[in-house]
Amino acid sequence: MKVDRRTFLAGSLGLTAGAAATALLDKPKYLVNRKQRRSRVAVLRAESYSEDLGQILRSGLDLFYLNVRGKTVLLKPNLVDYIPGNHINTHPFLVFAAVECFRRLGAKSVLVGEGPGHQRDTELVLLESGFSEELRQQKVPFVDLNRDELVMTRLLANYTGMKHLWLPRTVLKADFVVTMPKVKTHHWSGVTLSMKNMFGVVPGTKYGWPKNILHWKGIQESILDICATVPVHFVIADAIVSMEGNGPLNGHPRPLNRIVLADDPVAADATCARLMGLDPARITHIQVGAQFLGNDSIERIDQVAEAVGAPANPFEAVPEFQHLRVTGSAERDP
Amino acid sequence: MRGTQQLNHACVQELIDRQLPEGGWPFSSDTAQAAVEPTALALLALPSNSLRERDAAIRLLLRMQNANGSWPAFSGDDGGGSGLTGLALYALNRCCAQGAAANRAVHWLIESRGWESHWLWKWKFRTSDRHVRFDPDKFGWPWMPETVSWVVPTAYSLLALKHVRGISQREHVEHRIRRGVEMLYDRICPAGGWNAGNGVAYGVPLAPHPDATAVALLALLSEPLNDLMTASLGWLERRAETCFAPWSLAWTVLALDAFGRPTELLTDRLFCITEHGPINDCATLAVASLALRCGEGLNVFGVDS
Repeated sequence: MKVDRRTFLAGSLGLTAGAAATALLDKPKYLVNRKQRRSRVAVLRAESYSEDLGQILRSGLDLFYLNVRGKTVLLKPNLVDYIPGNHINTHPFLVFAAVECFRRLGAKSVLVGEGPGHQRDTELVLLESGFSEELRQQKVPFVDLNRDELVMTRLLANYTGMKHLWLPRTVLKADFVVTMPKVKTHHWSGVTLSMKNMFGVVPGTKYGWPKNILHWKGIQESILDICATVPVHFVIADAIVSMEGNGPLNGHPRPLNRIVLADDPVAADATCARLMGLDPARITHIQVGAQFLGNDSIERIDQVAEAVGAPANPFEAVPEFQHLRVTGSAERDP
Repeated sequence: MRGTQQLNHACVQELIDRQLPEGGWPFSSDTAQAAVEPTALALLALPSNSLRERDAAIRLLLRMQNANGSWPAFSGDDGGGSGLTGLALYALNRCCAQGAAANRAVHWLIESRGWESHWLWKWKFRTSDRHVRFDPDKFGWPWMPETVSWVVPTAYSLLALKHVRGISQREHVEHRIRRGVEMLYDRICPAGGWNAGNGVAYGVPLAPHPDATAVALLALLSEPLNDLMTASLGWLERRAETCFAPWSLAWTVLALDAFGRPTELLTDRLFCITEHGPINDCATLAVASLALRCGEGLNVFGVDS
């Protein structure tokens, strides 16, 4: 192959830039280490949202021996917007099943909080996605994290270089934070799972709609800084009907018929990625997060329910994230 | 059942009850952190006979103004400036509280711009980053410095600059108004209406949002009516048929009323929602109050207001 000078120079520059970027992400920049020696993940089967999700969730949560007695539990679902027919939000049935479970476990209070990233009218999203009526009937307080009281908070990692973020008081005061993502591919970050879901705690009042500063500072880097600063105590991921392709809004529904529970967001996301047929080692925030936020390797994750298998057809992704797909190594469709 | 005027008086009284001792309003009535958006909207909603409350709100807004002329998003925020500067200036202008503060704000608005206007990012968006369809030559205002332009801060800034009086930099103001108007037309969704600011991403048309559409239309009110505006008004009218959220519904009423479109049914629905409340969010309560007043021929965002 003949390489002219221009190609060589362009290639060299590209390699230098790539190496610099890798070095930047490889260098530890965290002030906190939340990694446990071992992590627990439970992959639960749920064929549809019409099943008794409360029963499934209760039996799943029993595997974790959670102590939330007397604590304030904040459930953080993924409510982006409402587009009829698109499976873009964490399903309300799953969220309210979780409310019921944590109440039974003795939580002092269970709140639901979210700060949608695109739609400024959070109440519109709640109304149209079926949350409002349930919130009222079950007397569950909802906090619009975009419009909550804000506290300047020092970041416990420095991947973005931002030093601090203004964060909602409700999130900082919660004793037990449960991130409840909708399992989706994402056109900017590859996937949106339990860690990316924490973008929703960053308030629009300060950072706008969308939270554009996080894009400019780097999405992967922002995920790491936010998850270092706001501890995630538990994950309940909605993979009953997931999304593939051009997520988070315009992908296609992809049933996985699973709920994923975990006591570690990195372990949860690595497991979800495997369920999607994607390689967690190629997803930057999972790979770097495994240094200090949790475990990504199978050896350090105790699968306490179903085994994790890759689907015969990995999830579709936009061209930039095709490299995440694990092809030719399908074991079985989970 | 109360009449619209009575309900509006009740809304105003509720706003007065929720006013913080320093003169501002928080978003949620459970908190005590004054924020610029609810404060500016509540100030617009207070009738002229609420002298003491208006005066306190004006004083607070003037105290909150940053040294560079911008407004922060909330009390205690850092001083770089926010995309709510236009709304704060608009509210003060409407209350005839102009002067040096307005001049400094206008100067900041002239200087503040989305990062897509910078040659480097312009080049990036023209060459390597083409997933979102937009023309970086057409720029407006960002939510916060060092980010690109978005619809709502651009619309708020246009409202302010179009209504500001007695300032010295008219030519620069006019230039920024033109760029901002172009930006709104450029970011419009293919079937009309606006969302946060991306009409098409990854080749897929994105859905508009009622509140962003309404605010953008209000900012374009003095522009000659064109097909884009007509399509957006049509979309807003259709969307309003199934909209029951007070924030979106109230902005929709304000926009449609400003364009002379019928709003009686929507106002009735807003009346019911507001009456059955409670509306905990002060910004929403203020916009609902402003919208309910449209029935009396008073639209604070209208041409004749």
